[in-house]
Amino acid sequence: MHFDIRRGIVAPRGPSTKDAPFGTLTAKMIAMMGDDYPNVVFDLHIKEGDTVRAGQTLCVDRHRPEICFVANASGRVSKIRLGPRRRLELLEIAVGGDGSVTFDTDDLSKLLLKSGAWTSFRTRPFGLIPDPTATPAAIFVTATNATPQAPDPLRVIAAKAENFERGAKALLQLTTGPVFVCQRKGASLLTPYDRLKIATFSGPFPSGNAGPQIHRLLPVSRQRKVWEIGYQDVMAIGHLLATGQIKTSRVVSVSGTTHTKVVVAPLGIKLADVAQTIDHFDGDQLRSGSRLTGRKSHYLSRRDLQISTGKTEALPRPFWHRVFDALPVVSMGATLPMEAFERAFPFDILPTPLMRALAIGDVETAERLGCLELVEEDMAVLTQLCTSGYDYGHLLRHSLNLLLRERAG
Amino acid sequence: MIQRTPYSWNSHQISAATFSALLLPLITTVTLRGPSMVLTMVIALGASLLWSFLFSALRKSAFNWHSPISALIFVLLLPVATPIWQLVISLSFGLVFGDLIFGSRGRGFLNAAVVGLAFLLFSFPATPPDTALPQTAIAAALSGLILLALGLISWRIIAAFGICLAALIPVLPASANWQDLQSATVILGLIFLIGDPVAGANTHLGRWLYGALAAALVLLLGQTGVGIGSLSSMVFGALLASIFAPLLDQIAIYDNVRRRMKRQSYEP
Repeated sequence: MHFDIRRGIVAPRGPSTKDAPFGTLTAKMIAMMGDDYPNVVFDLHIKEGDTVRAGQTLCVDRHRPEICFVANASGRVSKIRLGPRRRLELLEIAVGGDGSVTFDTDDLSKLLLKSGAWTSFRTRPFGLIPDPTATPAAIFVTATNATPQAPDPLRVIAAKAENFERGAKALLQLTTGPVFVCQRKGASLLTPYDRLKIATFSGPFPSGNAGPQIHRLLPVSRQRKVWEIGYQDVMAIGHLLATGQIKTSRVVSVSGTTHTKVVVAPLGIKLADVAQTIDHFDGDQLRSGSRLTGRKSHYLSRRDLQISTGKTEALPRPFWHRVFDALPVVSMGATLPMEAFERAFPFDILPTPLMRALAIGDVETAERLGCLELVEEDMAVLTQLCTSGYDYGHLLRHSLNLLLRERAG
Repeated sequence: MIQRTPYSWNSHQISAATFSALLLPLITTVTLRGPSMVLTMVIALGASLLWSFLFSALRKSAFNWHSPISALIFVLLLPVATPIWQLVISLSFGLVFGDLIFGSRGRGFLNAAVVGLAFLLFSFPATPPDTALPQTAIAAALSGLILLALGLISWRIIAAFGICLAALIPVLPASANWQDLQSATVILGLIFLIGDPVAGANTHLGRWLYGALAAALVLLLGQTGVGIGSLSSMVFGALLASIFAPLLDQIAIYDNVRRRMKRQSYEP
């Protein structure tokens, strides 16, 4: 199956990843951020100053205590910061010491829950960690790079192909439906096997995100729920099944304005450590994520496979557009509908009516227009293009939460 | 296929770009009509700035920089012999009830210049028709091309308007020819009144329907003796079409929802 996604935006050009061998980063500090897991209420199992081993449970989901969040490195818990309503905002570990927890690999879902690998799944609709007892209609493995500067999945998987295959086959036990491996055109990442299927996608940003791919393969609804997972998280499951120990690092690219480096970095690494370790990078403006959609952060976000440095520019634009920079800054305004929204939004969902419904909080219309198929990252292009200055990702999360509460109550 | 990248705009930038596109027909008209035109423009600009200022001060909101642009569009389409007091009253009505009371540009559903001109034509029907200015028509077409290239107006609306005109003209009883439709009024009206993204439909299907409906209305209203391509047929065509635009969008939404429902029940 091949899908050519025409709609999207050409991401800012920048140095792409070369064929150079992967470097390695060591972290002094790593952190887990509460914002990476929307709607979760954390129950802490440790306190500040405790020594933890890699794989040890740090906290669990209060409403579903089977779901564990584990330490991704051995060390000492140096900081726990609580945000509004005493929700965990940041849990920082000063890395040091050896030893890691070895898990029993007999029961797959128990293993995934205990080892924290369960938290790498995300449901559609709603974009949350799935329920331990749920069975999805399908699982989507996203093995497409979101931007040209992100690490090439083909190279990353080739380095440990057996882990990817073991992980992907394990996913078949979690669903009765198909497991789709979504990749770019080129050599197949694995041979199709039973319900394990390959789908290829081409196109500009954001065709590499899971949203547009699921929309084309198996659109979700209230009745049909699917899960998505990143290819490196599948490799981590493969590693976990083989060794019983968690994989604490990911291959990420560090892209600056002049060059891009691919490195093996610990999960949740402090970005300031990255800037110190690698030369020629300007550490002032570090973002977790791509130069287009990344957000300013002190640590690498759980799902991001890219760290961007240097001056960032929202979207590439023609030279004459800079004339307008002299104009005063605009406060929040209204949406001015433009055809550009349709050109950039790779879903068969009407962008302007949806944006308006989200902006006024009309959840019924938003659901009718298809907001259940979307999560925050899918709205990034519309946030960039809209004149209003609204963050449609936040607005979407608000509407999704209302829909969720309505269904529960 | 070459991918043209959309880039982000903010509302000031859009106002500035629309103003730059408007400069071309403005300069042409002033050169043709002489300095009296400048006075009219200054008065219209003054009135629009005053209303914008009043609303931003009373509502403690941002200043609406699109009002002066609406005023300039209004002046461009205004019959030359209109007395100043009529201009000020109808422009004020258009700005306040077409745009400002809704909040700001983008929150309403009508174009302020259309509302103002419709008010003028209703209240003071004796306004004499204008002489044709072919140079202004060319300038207006050029500024339309600029706005199309910038993506600030939809090519679908313009194309639908053109296709529907071409299809309907041979069928209509009243003699119409393409010459009538190449006047400055028609082109300015198409670009700045019918093409206004706020007043028009905002889905692809809606845009096609809206452009076609606007063309049909302009031709139909032209049958009433005022002449095809006259100011009143353009203004009332644009007004009626933009009132129907939300309905056309609902048709597009209905179609989209039905199609997605069908896809959601499909199993691979």
